[in-house]
Amino acid sequence: MLLKDYLQLNKISSKQFSRILKVSEISISRYINGNRIPNKRILRAIFKETNGFVSANDFLINDIKNIELNNKDKDDIRKLVREITLGSIKSLAKAITLVESSNLLDQKKSDFLISILPKKNNTIRIGISGVPGVGKSTFIESLGLYLLQENFKVAVLAVDPSSQKTGGSILGDKTRMERLSIKKNAYIRPSPSQGHLGGVTKSTRETINCAEAAGFDVVFVETMGVGQAETAVHSMVDIFLVLLLPSGGDDLQGIKKGIIELADLLVVNKADGSLLSTAKVTVNDYKNAISIINSARDSWKPKVEMCSSINHEGIANIWNRISGFIKERKKRKYFLENRINQNKNWMWDLVDQKIKNFIEKDIKNNQISYEIEKKLSNNKLNSINAANEILGIYLKNFK
Amino acid sequence: MAKNYTIDDWNKQAEKELREKKLSDLKWETPEGIMVKPLYTKEDLEGLEHTDGFPGLPPFTRGPRATMYSNRPWTIRQYAGFSTASESNRFYKEGLKNGVMGLSVAFDLATHRGYDSDHPRVVADVGNAGVAIDSIEDMKVLFEGIPLNKMSVSMTMNGAVLPVLGSFIAAGIEQGCSKSELTGTIQNDILKEFMVRNTYIYPPQPSMRIVADIIEFTSREMPKFNSISISGYHMQEAGANQVQELAYTLADGLEYVKIALDRGLNIDDFAPRLSFFWSIGMNFFMEVAKMRAARFMWSEMIKNFNPKNMKSLALRTHCQTSGVSLTEQDAYNNVVRTTVEAMAAVFGGTQSLHTNSFDEALALPTSFSARIARNTQLILAEETGITNVIDPLAGSYYVENLTSNIIKEAKKLMKEVEDVGGMVKAIELGIPKMRIEESSAKKQARVDSKEETIVGVNKYQPNEQQDINILSIDNEQARKEQVAKLDILKKNRDLSKVNNSLAKLISAAENNNSNLLELSIEASLNRCTIGEITEALEKVFDRHKPSSKTISGVYANSVKSSDMLSGVKKEIEIFKNKFGRRPRILVVKMGQDGHDRGSKLIATAFADLGFDVDIGPLFQTPEEAAKQAVENDVHIIGVSTLAAGHKTLVPILMKELKKLDAESIKVICGGVIPPNDYPFLEEIGVTKVFGPGTSIPDAALEIIKLL
Repeated sequence: MLLKDYLQLNKISSKQFSRILKVSEISISRYINGNRIPNKRILRAIFKETNGFVSANDFLINDIKNIELNNKDKDDIRKLVREITLGSIKSLAKAITLVESSNLLDQKKSDFLISILPKKNNTIRIGISGVPGVGKSTFIESLGLYLLQENFKVAVLAVDPSSQKTGGSILGDKTRMERLSIKKNAYIRPSPSQGHLGGVTKSTRETINCAEAAGFDVVFVETMGVGQAETAVHSMVDIFLVLLLPSGGDDLQGIKKGIIELADLLVVNKADGSLLSTAKVTVNDYKNAISIINSARDSWKPKVEMCSSINHEGIANIWNRISGFIKERKKRKYFLENRINQNKNWMWDLVDQKIKNFIEKDIKNNQISYEIEKKLSNNKLNSINAANEILGIYLKNFK
Repeated sequence: MAKNYTIDDWNKQAEKELREKKLSDLKWETPEGIMVKPLYTKEDLEGLEHTDGFPGLPPFTRGPRATMYSNRPWTIRQYAGFSTASESNRFYKEGLKNGVMGLSVAFDLATHRGYDSDHPRVVADVGNAGVAIDSIEDMKVLFEGIPLNKMSVSMTMNGAVLPVLGSFIAAGIEQGCSKSELTGTIQNDILKEFMVRNTYIYPPQPSMRIVADIIEFTSREMPKFNSISISGYHMQEAGANQVQELAYTLADGLEYVKIALDRGLNIDDFAPRLSFFWSIGMNFFMEVAKMRAARFMWSEMIKNFNPKNMKSLALRTHCQTSGVSLTEQDAYNNVVRTTVEAMAAVFGGTQSLHTNSFDEALALPTSFSARIARNTQLILAEETGITNVIDPLAGSYYVENLTSNIIKEAKKLMKEVEDVGGMVKAIELGIPKMRIEESSAKKQARVDSKEETIVGVNKYQPNEQQDINILSIDNEQARKEQVAKLDILKKNRDLSKVNNSLAKLISAAENNNSNLLELSIEASLNRCTIGEITEALEKVFDRHKPSSKTISGVYANSVKSSDMLSGVKKEIEIFKNKFGRRPRILVVKMGQDGHDRGSKLIATAFADLGFDVDIGPLFQTPEEAAKQAVENDVHIIGVSTLAAGHKTLVPILMKELKKLDAESIKVICGGVIPPNDYPFLEEIGVTKVFGPGTSIPDAALEIIKLL
């Protein structure tokens, strides 16, 4: 939050604060007015004293919002894009870091980067979902290796959860797809979820675009395999696969019906060894189950297949199904329509995201909001009226 | 003196002494979760099931032999291997002249993983951490002048167990011994490799078949040879507590018994030839109690298979003092640590013992440090009088009670294993590995927050750095020599015999119709190399790829003082505000060294501190590591190195980064790195070297500053 707001909120005068920081009162008022940005040492001290509430960004925020990228920034990004299109993995990696950055200036750069990035519609975006332990990574590795043989270039975007408590994360996807990770025409990028819900990061779509621009023609988006992830991933891919475990007879393995409805292709994995016969039963169970389910796509009945990722069996068949689906969709013009829908979803997600940021960064830390909160605390307003009042102030047409 | 005092009188007296504190404050919860009281009395012996009995008789709690050290002390068996066969041979002969009674061979990493010295993946591994053996010819040099029909030889080999044991037997045959005369031990304990040490080659199923083939062959042809050494050592080294070490090792043992019985062997055919291997750490009484508990439990377990021979019930063991308890800082303290640990092994009734050299946290032992390590045992055996009485701690209220508690706790863990269907299944599910990694993270947290003292490391640090002479090994020279020897071997052998032998191995692997050890001996005699035999079987069995799970949260939750963590968290927040993301570190483990305790620990602790942590696969090459670092756009690469590979691998990594135009990625190193190598590493561009014993939050703060 802004230093001004913090001090007001905690009833600290600028004089008191200047003593705590051991700087002059004039300096403090300059920081508050935005006439000067504190140096590194003082930034740290302020951060420490305010328990992290006032950080470096809070001093830049006003500047950056109004700043347009300068020509050098733009040239740098044009250069980066050129290198990406020439297939530089390093530049692709840097671009993904940029689109994932939470730094405001980086976000401006990222917006510019995406706007000039060549868009491709001859790629295939595959979403992969399934409960933990179903073998998503092994499946992607097996299918990925097969696709490399067929002269495709394969990118895998995997999301690992950031700890809610510490914020850190463990990104182990390359150890799970070791054979694929060392191949020349494969690119695996694990990203921390950074508190973004839905099994993707806030910038998975941007990342897909970057990978495609770098010449990767098949892009896998692997979800963390948690409940609400599927809808989010479904809205950004061309085909959505759900992996299943062989299991005899019981009802749909506790998988939510909603997820099956989203699936374009159900794959029973681990169809090997002692599980082979169970896998066959499972395939039949699901064939029966989906016959009474409405598909999320027009004119497409989901298919059920099985494979053994670990033994690389049935993988070619799965690919035939996937490419068959894509061909069919293209023939009926649904493919491009879906891509347009993906862009629409993207747009609304961005609107949503930016409003949320706006609420967090600006509205919540604003003096007006404090006043309204105060009224609420003193029982002068109820929650509903208070919410409407805030919205009325910020959204002109809100009724 | 007339009054008979009771425990209540003592309670009162003790509380008086304590003033403000309570008596219950003196209780100590061990890392195993056992509550230890400040005083034990006669009552603590009541109802304990294990306390009766005599040494040499079931249930063997008091020792596997009737007379124990009162007749003959334990075997001093020092584990060693130096780059080349001829150098190791010299070292063994020197040891034999100075009191060593049995040999113990350490192989280099390339051999462990079944690669010949000329394989491109092992450039940095040949001659590291042990002797390079490529064929029967190297084996013959290794034992030149040492008659194998008289000398007991222990070999730490699990992955490439077939070609190594095969060429050992073949070397014996060419020395003129018969197979039945060979004595010694082959470790051959593959299950713990999947759990902690990672020097496996094939997947679990075929690996277990190999174990069974070896038990079968040795029980038939080599009656004096221990077919397997069921090892808890590496578990404790990887961070397991003593109860985990005990429970998982016995559970491993049970699996081996089962596969041998499945082969149609009689329990008495092989059970007397099973031996065990414990790590002995600094928790003195716990170690003694563990060893006694193990003998009792094993005897109870084997009883269920109705052996006729009493020897089948007796657990015999080798012990080694704990390597992980050694410190780089104030290294001479390690002499004292090793002495205390050696005493625990002796009070626990070990059959043979290796004492570590004080410089092993830095490098392989010099002849000076090796001498002190040997003498530690000789002094215990010949100067102290400890050997005169058998199982001298028996009847101690504390030790007996502790023994009983360990038995109880270990049984709980074994039950957990049994409930999922045995150890093979539990390993597949990753349960023991996870439990051990949890223990390891907790231990590190206790040390980092000074709850557990390590003298000279987190307390009483020396003011000055001591200079210690350490052994430096020219790995490149060793590799060149090995490659030259391989060339000669390949020129002078009968290729049709070689191909025939390898074809037989492949067919036996496919059809499961002949003994693979028998065929490996034949192949060794025909001059097939370790790598060729391994590769032939790999065609059928495939090479095992580990799935790697990493725990999270345990470290942070175990740190009692949160100040330590919040300092780092604050720095990370500042970093994040500035750069738009958290500091991102790639933790890599290059080369064939599979000890991943250190790298796992760093990964989980750094993630708990708020870093984004990428993990590289085990056995990565520097090229692969550089590629991963660039693709994931990390800020920094942390190289974990234990096996002297840093001198070869890190320079290649730096070169690869340069090639990828990614010199902005910083490189730091940690692990077992001799201080003498620091300047070399810094010169080639390594930003910082962290020695063992660095507190993790301190390291994290320093890293953030570097970025």
